[in-house]
Amino acid sequence: MAEPILEIKNLSATVAGKEIIKNLNLTINADEVHALMGPNGAGKSTLSYVLTGKPDYEVTGGEIRFCGKDLLAMKTDERASAGLFLSMQYPVAIPGVATNNFLKHAVNAKRKYEGLPELDAAEFLKLLRTEAKNLNIGADMLKREINVGFSGGEKKRMEILQMSLLKPSLAILDEADSGLDIDALKLVADGVNKLHNETNALLIITHHLDLLNHIEPDIVHIYADGHIIKSGDKNLAIELEKSGYKTFVDAE
Amino acid sequence: MSLTEQNITLWGDDIPWLAGLREKGLNAFNKAGLPTAKTEAWKYSFKAVGQTENLQIDTAPHECDGHCHHLHDLPFKAYQIHVCDGKLHGEHFDLPQGVSLKPLVEAIYDGDAKAYLNKSFEAEKFPFAALNTAYLEHGFMLVIERGTVVDEPIFIRYHNEHTTNTFNNIRNLIVVESRAKAEIIEYFDGNGIGNINNIVNEIFLSTDSSLQHYKLQSESASTRHISFNSIQQKSGSSYKCFVAQKECTLARHESYIKLMQEGASAEVNGIYKLNSDGVSDITTNIRHLAPHTISNQLVKGVVDGHAKGVFQGQIHIAPDAEQTEGYQLHRALLLSDEGEVDCKPELEIFADDVKCSHGATCGDLDKEQLFYMQSRGININDARRILIEAYLQEVLNKIDNSAVAEWIKAQF
Ligand SMILES: Nc1ncnc2c1ncn2[C@@H]1O[C@H](COP(=O)(O)OP(=O)(O)OP(=O)(O)O)[C@@H](O)[C@H]1O
Ligand SMILES: [Mg+2]
Repeated sequence: MAEPILEIKNLSATVAGKEIIKNLNLTINADEVHALMGPNGAGKSTLSYVLTGKPDYEVTGGEIRFCGKDLLAMKTDERASAGLFLSMQYPVAIPGVATNNFLKHAVNAKRKYEGLPELDAAEFLKLLRTEAKNLNIGADMLKREINVGFSGGEKKRMEILQMSLLKPSLAILDEADSGLDIDALKLVADGVNKLHNETNALLIITHHLDLLNHIEPDIVHIYADGHIIKSGDKNLAIELEKSGYKTFVDAE
Repeated sequence: MSLTEQNITLWGDDIPWLAGLREKGLNAFNKAGLPTAKTEAWKYSFKAVGQTENLQIDTAPHECDGHCHHLHDLPFKAYQIHVCDGKLHGEHFDLPQGVSLKPLVEAIYDGDAKAYLNKSFEAEKFPFAALNTAYLEHGFMLVIERGTVVDEPIFIRYHNEHTTNTFNNIRNLIVVESRAKAEIIEYFDGNGIGNINNIVNEIFLSTDSSLQHYKLQSESASTRHISFNSIQQKSGSSYKCFVAQKECTLARHESYIKLMQEGASAEVNGIYKLNSDGVSDITTNIRHLAPHTISNQLVKGVVDGHAKGVFQGQIHIAPDAEQTEGYQLHRALLLSDEGEVDCKPELEIFADDVKCSHGATCGDLDKEQLFYMQSRGININDARRILIEAYLQEVLNKIDNSAVAEWIKAQF
């Protein structure tokens, strides 16, 4: 049996005193691609923030193990260094920080954690150029301040670039497909598929079957009101596309 | 001993006009006294002046034991001048054609200084500058002659290394003649203990001249650094100042700028970064006295620990100074509960057709940005450092000379 990468047991969490995640259970093994679909406001992004340890997201019950470690005992940066990556629904702009510098900091932080020597400017640029080219990200964009004035699609490609550079064990993609044109969707999906192998796993949060046609999920979960109400194979997503959430949520 | 009872003899007390000038300075100081909470221009930082009773003016001649040597690790070429423990080092300087520098006393003796000395400000308003006049002796007169474009920065290092509880008064006259162009860099450093360094620069910019004035204040923690920069500008002249203050007991940089004729423009930009319990004070008073004059100010600071950052910015626009522009922005990051940031903008506008604005912000680092960086594996300390660097970078970008900008940045 494949190694479990993420094990969530009876998780409950609150944001601003409001309970958003309610008794959630989810196990993701290496090699697996999970899709998480659910209505707006169901708590999907909240889950991604709880997993990455965002301040103000308070876990009130349950446990989470990541690659065998107690995830909740780790700081946000430690979780990232240990191989957890979140492609954010709303990436954050940081005026004054050049994209390539930011990426270099991120890559070297991970190398430091792994006991590897930091990359110098030339080595890093070589690595960056290849990965950026795959995502059709030009040199000008890399010189700009990170996410400042980036279009919706550019921001998403930048998230995937970071994923490609950091090579996580678990990549959570929170609406990585939103705002992408047809060609960009293909580039992003190719980037994700290129990363994916039997040692890592993907959790794909999306509203659209389209992305799942490019990145084939092993398991599809329907998520509503803070927990998973139904799981199945890709056909569940196809069904969902036709019928909408109502029938599933009502059946609960 | 108090600041006014030093029982010392100064060079040139037998020159009547000079003695008269010093007396005027002393009287002006006695009238104003040391700043208190009631001294408007000092109300946020007067406390940091602290103990003055134990201070003494050092009358010994300058003896150099090698510390006056040039800085070899400067990452740019420059003409270096040294003021060691409050005294100008040497009498002859390696400067290019069209640039002359003399010890102040020599400039007084030669008759060059009289037309400029104490001519740019009103002593009663500035107690420490008045005191500087009362004791004026050390310092230099720098003249950039008509039409001279100086190819490299003139780098003045004020190095206080061997002094303790000393009251250093330095008076400089900087004259930039018409169409001349220069960059000066003032660098203050050294391990002197408990000193007050009281520096007055009187700067005169002639028609269509240009001066870039960079300053890096990096003195020992116990230093009280009080610098007063009085700038008079004629038509078409441009003064651009960048001040960078690291932490010490008190670092005050005051600019008093008079845009006297049409087309004159001034810029004062600055950064400061404090972590412990020091005070940084950047005070400006920009006086638009003629039409078509422009001023710009951007100051950003970072305050942590028990430190205090002060920005006071006055923009005065005289009745006939139409079509002038005056902009000012102070922003601070306040990273601790015990720290303090005080900002006092003052606009006095007596003309109608003007564009003026001022702004101030004070806040913590952005939580979303910190989280984003941490979610990429960057630890909290590095994330904060990167964000602070980015915050200050906006002001560093105002420096035209990129080598100088890099040098200053590397100290922060
Ligand atoms: N900081 C907050 N304060 C108050 N409520 C919050 C906060 N953050 C999230 N919520 C609420 O939690 C609920 C879940 O939000 P979340 O962003 O996780 O939904 P989602 O499933 O990702 O939705 P979408 O598909 O629209 O992205 C919403 O009702 C949202 O308003
Ligand atoms: Mg969401």
